[in-house]
Amino acid sequence: MKVKRDLQFDAIVIGGGIAGLQSALDLGDQGYKVAVVDKDATIGGKMIRLSKVFPTLDCASCITTPKMSSAAHHENITLFTYCTLGALDREKPDQVVAQLRQEPRYVDPEKCIGCRKCEYGCPVYVEDDEQGGFNMRKAIYIPFSNAIPQLPVLDVENCSLCGKCAKVCPTDAIRYDMEPEDFTITAKTAVLATGFELSPMEQKPQYGLAKLQNVVSSMQMERLLAPHGPYNRVLRPSDGKEPDSIAYVQCAGSRDESLGIPYCSRVCCMYAIKQAMLLSGALPLADITIYYMDIRAFGKGYEQFYQNAKAMGIEFVKAKVAKITQGDNQTARLRYEDQEGNGGVMEREHDLVILSLGMVPQWDPAGICSVNCGQDGFIQSILPKIAPTVTNIDGVYTAGVAAGPKDIVDTITEAGAAAMEAANYIKGLT
Amino acid sequence: MSEEKKSTAPTVDMKKLRQERNESITGAREKMKVQNKVIKALKEALSKEAKTIPELADIMGMQTDAVLMYVSTLKRYGIIGEGPKDGDYFKYELTE
Repeated sequence: MKVKRDLQFDAIVIGGGIAGLQSALDLGDQGYKVAVVDKDATIGGKMIRLSKVFPTLDCASCITTPKMSSAAHHENITLFTYCTLGALDREKPDQVVAQLRQEPRYVDPEKCIGCRKCEYGCPVYVEDDEQGGFNMRKAIYIPFSNAIPQLPVLDVENCSLCGKCAKVCPTDAIRYDMEPEDFTITAKTAVLATGFELSPMEQKPQYGLAKLQNVVSSMQMERLLAPHGPYNRVLRPSDGKEPDSIAYVQCAGSRDESLGIPYCSRVCCMYAIKQAMLLSGALPLADITIYYMDIRAFGKGYEQFYQNAKAMGIEFVKAKVAKITQGDNQTARLRYEDQEGNGGVMEREHDLVILSLGMVPQWDPAGICSVNCGQDGFIQSILPKIAPTVTNIDGVYTAGVAAGPKDIVDTITEAGAAAMEAANYIKGLT
Repeated sequence: MSEEKKSTAPTVDMKKLRQERNESITGAREKMKVQNKVIKALKEALSKEAKTIPELADIMGMQTDAVLMYVSTLKRYGIIGEGPKDGDYFKYELTE
């Protein structure tokens, strides 16, 4: 393994999602040299994978792509994608040291021009997680069309080493023998913006353990709704039928002690309403139902958004769904107690069911960084009321969902606050 | 007269790499064989007229979800296109 280099920056941002990018841009604009580290092959985080955002229904990509591009072209920001963080801690008052590993893409980034000829030439298809697992990519691929950087990754586990990608590459950028490279970044301050993942589909036996046809996660539904989604329209994944009846099951991964996730994930009500509104636009004749415990519409304009959804004809049923089973004709059958109608146990079948899963931390710092986490696993602030981005490590801050579930508006606000704290810390060193 | 492309890439010991990655290479080749068969059958099924996913599944003797996976993949790479709607389903056709 090649030992790379020791790099010096003013600040290191862990995570290239919307929180990390906002922090990096705010620091970079103040003249600080910033390193952004992401484990993925592209920056953009969860937000770039969304269809639209609530409550404005703006295109998520249209907001995120310019920020990604600004960061990529910023003279003070350097992106380190497809990198694993091995260790991060403060060693001196002016030194946070991060041990990193550049995972091999098997493509020379200096030579690659992002033409995708390798991808089109590759003969092996692999299930594409970026598209919810609903269609396939190639064994060498650029994650999605507006990925930054526009560099492919060779999935070695699925590569037949046939040599076609190297043969068609016009710049000889394919490197089948590329190895990981370790390197170190030393900075004065750090921002941890490691984001979230959805609670697993497989965790609740009552909801079919991810084995039921046409029961999908909310992130999969984002892909079905996205213009560049797997089908370019909303179809039932089991057979391509245009669904007539669609249901959302709220609190499918939050507010549930049995799952070890007792907290509210804060965004599920609004993203379900957003998706329901988009669905009613895409499929005007479809019946859309949201099964909910309470609707939590706390943000600016959120209550109006909820009222608009009701006015559009989206049905809200107050019920905690007890069980989901396979129904007839590839439908999913929901069993619930009717709390507001005539009462009693009810059963209804839907063509497509979306589980509104909750947010859990993407990153576990155990053994990597001594930052404190709460019982919920999210990074803990030591001053949650007056400075929520401040952690237990001097000059190390947190932003976005890394610190707890929150929406995009709050994430961006918090990212700006983390950048301000980090800038103040650097100034205090001189 | 066409000139053969001269590689500027460093020389790689492919034999050694193939030995090291033997397991994953074998898996990928097996996967590719199955995929090529399905794609061939799919193209044959669509060679005369556009069909829906259940129709294709009937002809090919495959599950509808697997057929949809292949159809959407080939659509992504421009080999198949979406045709007119037939009831609740869309028909798909070859673009080539």
